Amino acid sequence: MKSGNIYMDNCITTAPAPEVLVEMKTYLTDGFWFPASFISTGESTAEAVASFKQTVADSLNASPDELHFTSGGTLANNISIKGVTLSRAVRGRHVICSVVDYPDLLTNAAFLEKIGFEVSYLEPDAQGRVSPQQLKDAIRDDTVLFMTTIVNHVVGTIQPMREYRDVLRAAGHKIHFHADACQAYGKLPLDVKELDVDTLSVSAHKIHGPQGIGALYVKHGTKLEQIIHGVKRIDGLQPGGIGIALMAGFAKAVELTFADLEGGIRHLRGLSDYLLEQLEARIPEIELNGPRGEGRACHNINVSIAYIEGEAVTMMLDLNGITVATGSACASQGLKPSYVLLAMGKNHVQSHGSMKFTLSRYNTREEVDFVVEKLAEITAELRSRSPLYKSTHPEER
Amino acid sequence: MQYSQKVLDHFMRPHNVGQMENPDAVATEGSPSCGDQVTIYLKINPDTLVIEDVSFLSYGCASNIATASIITDLIKGKTLEEAKKVTWRDAMEALDGLPPVKVHCSVLAADTVQTAISNYEIAHGLKEVPDFGKETIIEELKKIIYPQVGEDIVSLKMVKYVGFDDGNVLIDMNMMSFDQWRENVAQEIREHLEKYPAVKNIQINFP
Repeated sequence: MKSGNIYMDNCITTAPAPEVLVEMKTYLTDGFWFPASFISTGESTAEAVASFKQTVADSLNASPDELHFTSGGTLANNISIKGVTLSRAVRGRHVICSVVDYPDLLTNAAFLEKIGFEVSYLEPDAQGRVSPQQLKDAIRDDTVLFMTTIVNHVVGTIQPMREYRDVLRAAGHKIHFHADACQAYGKLPLDVKELDVDTLSVSAHKIHGPQGIGALYVKHGTKLEQIIHGVKRIDGLQPGGIGIALMAGFAKAVELTFADLEGGIRHLRGLSDYLLEQLEARIPEIELNGPRGEGRACHNINVSIAYIEGEAVTMMLDLNGITVATGSACASQGLKPSYVLLAMGKNHVQSHGSMKFTLSRYNTREEVDFVVEKLAEITAELRSRSPLYKSTHPEER
Repeated sequence: MQYSQKVLDHFMRPHNVGQMENPDAVATEGSPSCGDQVTIYLKINPDTLVIEDVSFLSYGCASNIATASIITDLIKGKTLEEAKKVTWRDAMEALDGLPPVKVHCSVLAADTVQTAISNYEIAHGLKEVPDFGKETIIEELKKIIYPQVGEDIVSLKMVKYVGFDDGNVLIDMNMMSFDQWRENVAQEIREHLEKYPAVKNIQINFP
């Protein structure tokens, strides 16, 4: 195949499905009205919104009245974390999360510390997994919230949600359980009743829906302090307007993803297994970051390539029409290596040489072959320039 | 943030890359743990002191590789005295500029060239091993780039005071507590100074 646009950075955002765009167009033209009573335009929108809500709620086994549209996953996380801690501050001011959580959770934790909460940060093992025992040990009488990222955004590690649930159930007092499911949504089955979470956030643009829309599941009976105030158009938790077309696009993306979730997962698992197998076969001295097989999400492969630096690799791949991500400090805005890899015990060199491939249903085996072929060429070229490689491989002078 | 075409050209097809057999001077600067590492090899005519050949190896990003490529072009055929005047600013200009946040990656190559020249001069009795003191510290601080604007911290007057006494380095910095680059700058200062055997302790104070 020729050099074209191969996109393997789907954990950041995904291409909107063509069907999603068609669906959205209707609501950008004829059906743009906000929900209202007694007038036909508003009533038809209200019906449409109810059906979008039903679709998204069904994908999580939630009731539609437990599902709140928000302007994205980050907003959903904020509404939940700030909402629950503010409403329960009288009960206690202790929160638990882990050092490998998504920045949404960690920046909220930092904010909570600033306003007088105490936060316990759990540490991951070498695979990025945070043990339920650590959670058990961290729980105090004044713990009001445990929040976790179901699928790690860097290495794809799936956290032991059922074990967490059991620990929290046995805690002796109510601890709010919040899950950031943005990376997990559409990559593994999520049943809010089985997980027994109190709140859970998802995002549309990670599953080929539009950017700018997400949802927050809030279990019946959960009290969240209002953190955004304003006129109610669509939802009480996020006042103000939320795009109807975005909801339509979200619901369509959910329909497409969940029509055959298991088939989709199987496809991604097969493709990422093949990618890893090819990488390990074609590139010497490469190591997988995070767990192998079932312990990681089906769309994520993260490897460290020894002796070379990730920004250079990313740029060379980009010049070949391939988009991937790296954990190199040189490629980050803050010039810092990946905090997730460091927390897993990897060193700076492993982080600098780390490459993350996140696949979607639009990726093919042919694309994987092309990417691995190019990456093998680039690795050989950059290693030929690398003093680290030369000093450890004197025979290749 | 974008690289110029010149940077991309030198990154994709670098000049003077590779290990050199029997070089007259070698220097390696940087360390993989703090980011980039560059090795410079020089072939020097002992009579004319002209750099007749130069090559490099780089464990680094595009900015680092491109700077090593162009700076080796700039010093090739020059005398040691001429080459000593070539700085990272010359390299950056020849590359049609760099994004501010990437300037610090380019300083290393220029720095390594100077160390290779200095190594040659010391080995051939052309200069004495310099005493370590306040001046050396300030010269090192001039190599540290503030990522926000791509200028060194001395030119930006971010260094308020430098002291050196009995192995102890004391640096007072002028960076606000909310400055997101404080940690990066402090770490770089340490990396630049820790390599000197004369340095036993480094204290960096922020307001």
